[in-house]
Amino acid sequence: MEAAELKAKLKGQIIEYLNLLDFTVEDIADDDQLFGPKFGLDSIDALELSVLLEREYGIKLTDPAEGRKVLVTVDTMAEYILANQTAA
Amino acid sequence: MFIKDLTCISPQRTFEGDFFQSEPVIYTGSQLIAIEPAYESIPNSQLRRMGKSNRMATGAAMPLLQKYKTDGIIIGTTDGGMEDCHRFLNQIIQYQEGTLTPTNFVQGSPSSPAGGLALMSANSGYNNTHSNKGLSFENCLMDADLLFIEARAKSLLVGCVEEISQAQHRIETLAGYIKKEDVSSDKLYSSKTPGAVNGEGAAMFVVEAKNDNALAEIVDFDMISYPSREDLLTKADALLKRNGLTTDDVDALMLGFSGDVNTDNWYHGFAKDLFPQTGILSFKNLFGETPSASAFATWFAAQLVSGKPVPEMTFQRWSSRELKTILIYNHYQGNQHGFVLVRKPAPSIPQRGK
Repeated sequence: MEAAELKAKLKGQIIEYLNLLDFTVEDIADDDQLFGPKFGLDSIDALELSVLLEREYGIKLTDPAEGRKVLVTVDTMAEYILANQTAA
Repeated sequence: MFIKDLTCISPQRTFEGDFFQSEPVIYTGSQLIAIEPAYESIPNSQLRRMGKSNRMATGAAMPLLQKYKTDGIIIGTTDGGMEDCHRFLNQIIQYQEGTLTPTNFVQGSPSSPAGGLALMSANSGYNNTHSNKGLSFENCLMDADLLFIEARAKSLLVGCVEEISQAQHRIETLAGYIKKEDVSSDKLYSSKTPGAVNGEGAAMFVVEAKNDNALAEIVDFDMISYPSREDLLTKADALLKRNGLTTDDVDALMLGFSGDVNTDNWYHGFAKDLFPQTGILSFKNLFGETPSASAFATWFAAQLVSGKPVPEMTFQRWSSRELKTILIYNHYQGNQHGFVLVRKPAPSIPQRGK
């Protein structure tokens, strides 16, 4: 999957998993800080995002330090998926 | 105890509408779906994660908790967020007991509304949830009453919430508790078929130990499970007697007629044996059947004794008497039976310095 296609898909999945009522795919920029003031995400959302990676891409985040580097922006998540994806 | 204020989200326009000034909403089918407000009192960041029962409980309770300082929160719910609970259980199977999201689990817990309300309103007082199937609301009242008797609280938020979950609806339909055919809610009592129609919503009350310009008084309540007809009459008679009342002091009965031909005979028998002349009101043709239906009945009765007009479709036996004292009798599936006696309160005596 191309990076651009993956990022668009990922944004849709983030909205669906976190039920971000006020946002559309177009509202999320690739480099928006997911845990910044724009989205108001919290630690439960971090868990939801790690479940998203496991269910949708077969990637299990086991190291919290690694999670803090991956769950930063759509860019960082997509980059990590492309490098580690084992299942579609 | 005294009802200081109240709110209700229900299949009728009871929350922000003009329920008592307009015609009731008529439903066709076996589900009376709650009319949900815009939930302006809930931040979007929290609303997005809430299941329906949590949303309705929070939406109904938060305006009260913002207006009154209460010493605790007591919520009754039989099934809680059953839709989320089923989603969580299905995920266990679907993902082969792998990593699960916490949201559905948290939202599916019956104690979630009471806990969430405490967090949102920063209320660190007493917090309890009663899940006693058809007597959840009556147990909430008992909890509140005990706290008042022991002087551990002066003011409490008490209420119930129930949501229709589609899986539960299918199970109850198969079991014969919900009607298999579509019925119009204004013709519910002429259906003469097995089963009720499902309802949902949240009814919330600020109750106080003392009368301070209260809207209504919950004079007493009682409950009994698996009674005989005689047991039931004895229970109701005792409730009246210990409050110095006779059947003639009751201006109207509010009975939980659900349109279920198998269980409505309890109400017919009760009225015939103990209150042959008393006016009879219904409420489930407005709100549907829920395990904590008596909470919706109490909301309705409190409104009526405080002077609101009686919707015509709730009159099952006409009475011209002014409604000052209403006895609610409700049962769930013919097994759990509860009474709530609601009265117009005497004018409160102004306290010194007020």
